[in-house]
Amino acid sequence: MIDLTKANHHLWKEIMEEDAGDIRHCFNCGTCVSGCPAAEAESPLHIRRLVRMVLLGLEEKLLEDGTPWMCVTCTACEEMCPMGVKPFEVGLAIRRWQTRKDETYLPLATTEIFETGHTQPVEKIGELRKSLGLPEIPPTIAKFSELLKVFQAMLKETEIVKNNDYMFKEGNKK
Amino acid sequence: MNKYGLFLGCNMPAIRPDVERAMRLAIPALGIELVDLEGSACCPAFGTFPSADEIASLAVSGWNLSIAEKEGVNSLVQCGSCYSVLRMAREKLVKDEEKRERVNELLKKVDKHFEGKTCPRHVIDILFNDVGTEKISQSIKKDLQGLNVVVQYPCHTRFPSDVLGFDSPGRPRMLQKLVEALGATVQGYSRELQCCGGAGGFARQAYQDALKFSKKKFDAMVRETQVDFIVVNCITCLMHMEKVQKEFSKEDREFSIPVFDYAQILALCMGFDPKEVASISIIPRDKVIERVTGAP
Repeated sequence: MIDLTKANHHLWKEIMEEDAGDIRHCFNCGTCVSGCPAAEAESPLHIRRLVRMVLLGLEEKLLEDGTPWMCVTCTACEEMCPMGVKPFEVGLAIRRWQTRKDETYLPLATTEIFETGHTQPVEKIGELRKSLGLPEIPPTIAKFSELLKVFQAMLKETEIVKNNDYMFKEGNKK
Repeated sequence: MNKYGLFLGCNMPAIRPDVERAMRLAIPALGIELVDLEGSACCPAFGTFPSADEIASLAVSGWNLSIAEKEGVNSLVQCGSCYSVLRMAREKLVKDEEKRERVNELLKKVDKHFEGKTCPRHVIDILFNDVGTEKISQSIKKDLQGLNVVVQYPCHTRFPSDVLGFDSPGRPRMLQKLVEALGATVQGYSRELQCCGGAGGFARQAYQDALKFSKKKFDAMVRETQVDFIVVNCITCLMHMEKVQKEFSKEDREFSIPVFDYAQILALCMGFDPKEVASISIIPRDKVIERVTGAP
């Protein structure tokens, strides 16, 4: 039994931020699930179920639900949805809401991007790159340390970095 | 416009730089000038800032888009998720004035600005629609006659089609035609359009389930085709479709189907050195390379 007396009826507005609106058009048809790779998992991602949880305001359950993080980001659900709900965007919005509510959801790759500009150590395979005839360090932010500082200054102005500043550190690189 | 900014992303320059080399050699050989997008960063991948803070995410995409815009070029992107992230961010920034203003406020402090004058394009789109298969056929020294190929369309270049599509979303054919332009026979199969399973969180959160999902694809492929090798055009598809075969071989019968990025097989047909353009792989590619180059 779902106890709706404890439900947060404003949850959909909190989650969808300024993009709220279309999510209320969902009539639970399941088209989003039918083409979803992660719906084939043993504990499946069922985006339809997540949309229901958002609309019913099941805040506590949704906060501990890890399935939004299984999305392959193929966006097939958004292509197929007959009601323009943008299920893919709903999944990302749930992830952001979970991250705002509970910092343990914060993807660590965001701190890597803050530290280096990349999710992979592009500056660490210089010998290999050289042997292929490429510049040792690619001409990305990895090559320009001054630009990286500017990039970090920009990100320091964003909510996610301000609210979790202890996780975002300059100079952890190498 | 025959000049494009090469958007590198993270995986290609860090893990598969031979693909970067292949692109830097093969694409200019078709008359397209590639310029570097100096100072570009992570797109940022969907599992990073887009999953944490939308404005921060749009600011990082805005950073990247503004570099190409300042150069006055469209970017050329290979990685499926980089392409999708950049196109979807551009769409939001162009259509949503409030978000654009908030992002431009952040960019202003770092001396950058986004207007949306240029647009990221996927390499399949540019090769098929701008260069054309005829020119590609004329540019090669060796062909793939007698070889059977299976193609993998990157999901991120198909959906959502109203924002980023360039091929038919339900029945894409451009990569097939690009491979056929090299003389190969492309064989279709029932799970041709199934996702490789490698992107996003599925393989990270439920590895065994994601492997089972990919296995269905590979089982159908070997059952229904005489595949000699797979051609992809996304760095994640390339890495994942090799990695899963190694995993299947531990559990089931051996899978050893070589996988190439399109730029790599194109560069080989053009006569570029395989040591530069196709030297990094999990599944051995020597037999295909020998067959194409004619050298043992």
